[in-house]
Amino acid sequence: MEFEVVIGIEVHCELLTKSKMFSSAQVTFGEKPNTKIHEIDLGFPGTMPSINKKAVEYAIRMCHALHMDIDHQLWFDRKNYYYADLPKGFQITQDKRPIGCNGYLEIDVDGEIKKIAIERLHLEEDTAKQVHYHDFTLVDYNRAGIPLIEIVTKPTIKSGKEAAAYLEKLRSYFLFTEISDAKMEEGSMRCDINISIMEKGSSVFGTKTEIKNLNSISNVQKAIDFEVERQKQIIINGGMVEQETRRFNEATKETVLMRSKGEAADYKYYTEPNILPIQLDASWVLSIKEQLPQLPEQRVKRYVEEYQISKVEAAILVSSKAISDFYEEAICYTKEYKLVANWILTELLAYINKHQIEFKELKITAKDLAELVNHIVKATISSKQAKQVFEEMMNTAKTVEQVIEEKGLQQVSDTSVIKEIILEVFKQQPQSIEDYKNGKTKAIGFLVGQVMKLSKGQANPAMTNKLVKDMLEEMI
Amino acid sequence: MKAYTIVELHNLFKNKELSISEYYQSLFVELEKQNKRLNALVTITKEEALKKISNLSFDPSNMLSAIPVVYKDNYSTEGIRTTASSKILDNYLPIYSATAVNKLEDNNTVIVAKASLDELAMGGTNRSAYTGPVHNPWDTTRISGGSSGGSAAIVASGVVPFALGSDTGDSIRKPAGFCGVVGFKPTWGRISRYGVIPYATSLDHLGAFTRTIEDMSIVIGALSGRDDHDMTSSMKEVPDYYQNLNKDIKGVKIAILKNVYDEVTNQDIIDNMNVVIEKFKELGAIVEFVSMEQQLMKAILPAYVIIANSEAMSNHSCLDGIKFGVREPGDSPDEIMIESRTKGFSSFIKRRFVLGNLALATENQEKMFRKAQKVRRLIVDNLNQIYKEYDIILTPVSGDIAPTLEDASDDRLSEQYLILENHLILGNFAGTPSLTLPSGFSKHMPIGINIMGRLFEEQTVLNVAYALESVLPYRNQYREGSED
Repeated sequence: MEFEVVIGIEVHCELLTKSKMFSSAQVTFGEKPNTKIHEIDLGFPGTMPSINKKAVEYAIRMCHALHMDIDHQLWFDRKNYYYADLPKGFQITQDKRPIGCNGYLEIDVDGEIKKIAIERLHLEEDTAKQVHYHDFTLVDYNRAGIPLIEIVTKPTIKSGKEAAAYLEKLRSYFLFTEISDAKMEEGSMRCDINISIMEKGSSVFGTKTEIKNLNSISNVQKAIDFEVERQKQIIINGGMVEQETRRFNEATKETVLMRSKGEAADYKYYTEPNILPIQLDASWVLSIKEQLPQLPEQRVKRYVEEYQISKVEAAILVSSKAISDFYEEAICYTKEYKLVANWILTELLAYINKHQIEFKELKITAKDLAELVNHIVKATISSKQAKQVFEEMMNTAKTVEQVIEEKGLQQVSDTSVIKEIILEVFKQQPQSIEDYKNGKTKAIGFLVGQVMKLSKGQANPAMTNKLVKDMLEEMI
Repeated sequence: MKAYTIVELHNLFKNKELSISEYYQSLFVELEKQNKRLNALVTITKEEALKKISNLSFDPSNMLSAIPVVYKDNYSTEGIRTTASSKILDNYLPIYSATAVNKLEDNNTVIVAKASLDELAMGGTNRSAYTGPVHNPWDTTRISGGSSGGSAAIVASGVVPFALGSDTGDSIRKPAGFCGVVGFKPTWGRISRYGVIPYATSLDHLGAFTRTIEDMSIVIGALSGRDDHDMTSSMKEVPDYYQNLNKDIKGVKIAILKNVYDEVTNQDIIDNMNVVIEKFKELGAIVEFVSMEQQLMKAILPAYVIIANSEAMSNHSCLDGIKFGVREPGDSPDEIMIESRTKGFSSFIKRRFVLGNLALATENQEKMFRKAQKVRRLIVDNLNQIYKEYDIILTPVSGDIAPTLEDASDDRLSEQYLILENHLILGNFAGTPSLTLPSGFSKHMPIGINIMGRLFEEQTVLNVAYALESVLPYRNQYREGSED
C-alpha cells in the first residue's frame, strides 16, 4: 500500500515587544521568576486587559509578509479552561476573527519552489511556566501575558522535509521582520504538528494525531518521520489510527501518547467583553506594509540585481539575518558591494568556522571591514597586507587605521619615493644590472624583490615592477 | 450622632465647626454600633483611617476632602482585605486598588469600612454573603436588598454620607429603594470598572449611595472619566454635575413604563407613583404612559440569567486558590483548584456557574448564550424607540417593600415577579444611567422611584431627581434605629 502524508502546522511565536499583550509588565526571558509581573498577568480579580498596540503592529507586519487578508476590525475572544499555568482561567485569544487569514509562504525544497497555504494568523497571550518537582509544582508568571501570534497552515505539507523547510523559512521571516527572536530552544517559537496519512490518490483524510513538545526543527522532522511510520504500521496491520495528542520523546526519538480525544476540553469561546471591537485605521495598516523590513527573498533579489552577486552567494549572505545585516551595514561605507561580499563569504565565515564563534561575538565591525576593502581598492595596502590587517582586527577589535599605523603597513605608492629606493638597490646590485643588459630579464624579479625588502614590503608591488623595468631600459 | 451629608460635613470642616479627628472618633463608635445592628460591614478599617486623618491636610476647595467612604467589598483596596463576601477570598489582600478607589483617594476621602454583598455580587437579597445577611435599617427583620446591601444599609443608617456599590441587574438601585436612600449607576463606560471584582462584564456598572442628589453629583463627578486601564471607559468629557444641578425641568419628557406600572398591586406604591406623576407635572415636565412589547419585557429575566451567568463563569475562573485567596490542600495543581473551588463557593454560586457553563458549551451556545444576546439587542432596540421621544423613563423600583429575611428569595421566576422585579435590568442591558430616589413609604418601610435617562445624560437624570427631591420630604432621610 502506498500512502500520502498530510501535515498541518501550528506555530506559536512570542513577540519581542517591550511590554506584555495586555499589561505593562516587561517582556523578558530568563529573569528571576515572578519579578516581571503585574496584577493583570496574575489574573487578580478586577483586572482588565489593555491592548498593546505594538503587538498588533507586529502581527500585522507578519500578516503582510505572509500575503494575508487583514481584518480591519480587531476582535478578541475568551478561551475558557482551567489549568494552573492559566492565571485568569481563560486565555484572551482571537477565535472567530483572526487578524489575518488566507496567506502563503514560499519554500524551496530541493530546488523546487512550493507555496504553503496559511489559513490564519491570530494574536493571543502566553501562559505561565510550570516547573514540576516530585511532590510540588512551581509557577513562574514572568511568561504569562507575553504577546503571541499563532500561525496555522492548511493541511498541505507532504513530508517532514517540507515541514522543516517551512519552519526554517517562517523562522527567518520572524527574524527579518524583527518581531521575535524565534528561539525554539528557549520557547519563543513553538510548534505543534497535525499529521495523518491516507491511501495514495484518496481524497478522504485519515484520522490525525497532534504532536507537541517539539523544541527544534530537526526534531520536527524526526517526529514526523517516526509518526508517519507508526501510522503506516497501524494501517498495514489492519488497525485504526486514534485521534490523540502525542509528545515527542527526544531521548528515544519516538512520539508517545499524551492524551486521547475524549479528554479534550470544550473551550466555550465567546467574545471578550472587556474589549469592544476596535476599528483599525486603514492608513496605519498600510503604513505597516510600506515600512515592512526587506524579507530574505527581497534581499537576495537586490544583491543579485544591484550588486552583481551570484545567486548562490546571495543565498548564503541571507541564510542568517546577522550576516545579512552585517553586509547591509558594510555597504553603507563602501561602494565595493561585490568585494565586501567576497570578504564576508570567504575570510569572515572562514574565521567564524575556524574559531567556532557566534556572529555576534565578532570583534570587527561592518564599517571596519568596509574600510579595509576601500584601502585595498585605493591600493593603500596590498591584498596580502589586507589579510594581515583583517586578522589583527578580528583578534583585537582595533580599527583599520589603527592596525595599519601600528604595523607600519601603509603601502608606498609615491613614484619619487619608490624611485629613490630603486636607485639605492641599483647601487648595491651592479651585477644584476649587468645581467639585465646581457639579456637576462630574470634580473628584474630579483631587483624588485630587493626593493620590496628594502622598503619593508611597503612599496606598491605593481608600481615597483613597472618602475624597475622602465629605469633599467633607460640605462641601456 | 447626626447624619451629615457630604456638603454639610465639608462646611463644618471648612468652618472649623467640627474637628476632623473628633468626628472620626465618634464615627467609628457609631459604625461599630450600626454594624452590630445591621451586619452591613465585612471589615472596619479604623486603624488605617485614623492613621490617614492624622496626616491629612484638609482641602477647603475639594468637597470630598476628609469625607468618610465605605466601599462594597468587591472594590479592590490595596493591602486591605477584599472578600467579595465569598469564602474563597476570605484572606485575600489585593496588591492594587481599583481605579475608583484611587480616584477617591486622590480626593482625600477616608476609607472607613468595606461593606457586605451577596457572594460575588450574585444575588438580590444580600442573604448569600459569607458574613451572613444584612438587615434593613428601617426594620431589621427585613432584607436590605442586594447585592450592594451593606453599602445601602450603612448609608441608610446615617453613619456615613456615602458608599460605593456595583450594579449588574439592579444591585444598587433595588437596595437603595428598599433602604430609602439615593442609588445611582451612571452609563456603562462612564466610571472605570478596573479593579472591581466583576460579576458580568457587559452588565456591570459602578455607582454610589448617598442621601441627597447634591452629594450624588459630587461623588459621581469624582468617579467618572476615562481610565486607560479600562478600555471600555469613555473618552467623553465629564461635566461638573454638581455645579450644573438645576431644578428647572420644564418641558422634560418623561415616559412612565406602562408594562411595569400595570403590574403593581400594592396600593401604596400605585398611589406613590401617582403622587410622583403629579409632582412632575407641577414641575412642568411632560409625563406620558408608554409601552414596550410585553413579550420582550417577559424575556428580560431569562436573557439576563443566561448572559450574566455565562460571563460570570469565566470572570470567576481566576478564583482557583493558586495565586491568591483560600487554597485547599491537594496533591496536584488540578486537585488544589478543584478542592479550592468546591469548598470556596456556596452551592448557590456553583449552581450559577453550572448554568453559565451550560449556556456557553459549544453545543448550546447558539441556542442559549447567543440567543440571549440577540434578545438583549431586541429589548434595547425597543427601549431606544422610547428614548427617541422621551428624556426619561420612570418606573417604581419594586412592586413591594423589602421582604422579610424569611420570605426573600433569589430565584423568583414566577409570573408575579417576572416584570415587576426585573425591569431595572433594562438599564444594564442598555447601559443607560439609572437612579433610584426615595419617594414615599408603605407600611413604615421606604419605597423608591427609578429615573432612567439616555446614554451619558447623567445630568438630566440628576436634575430630574433633584427637582423631585425638592418637592418631596425625604431628602437626607435615615434610620439610626437606636430604639432597637
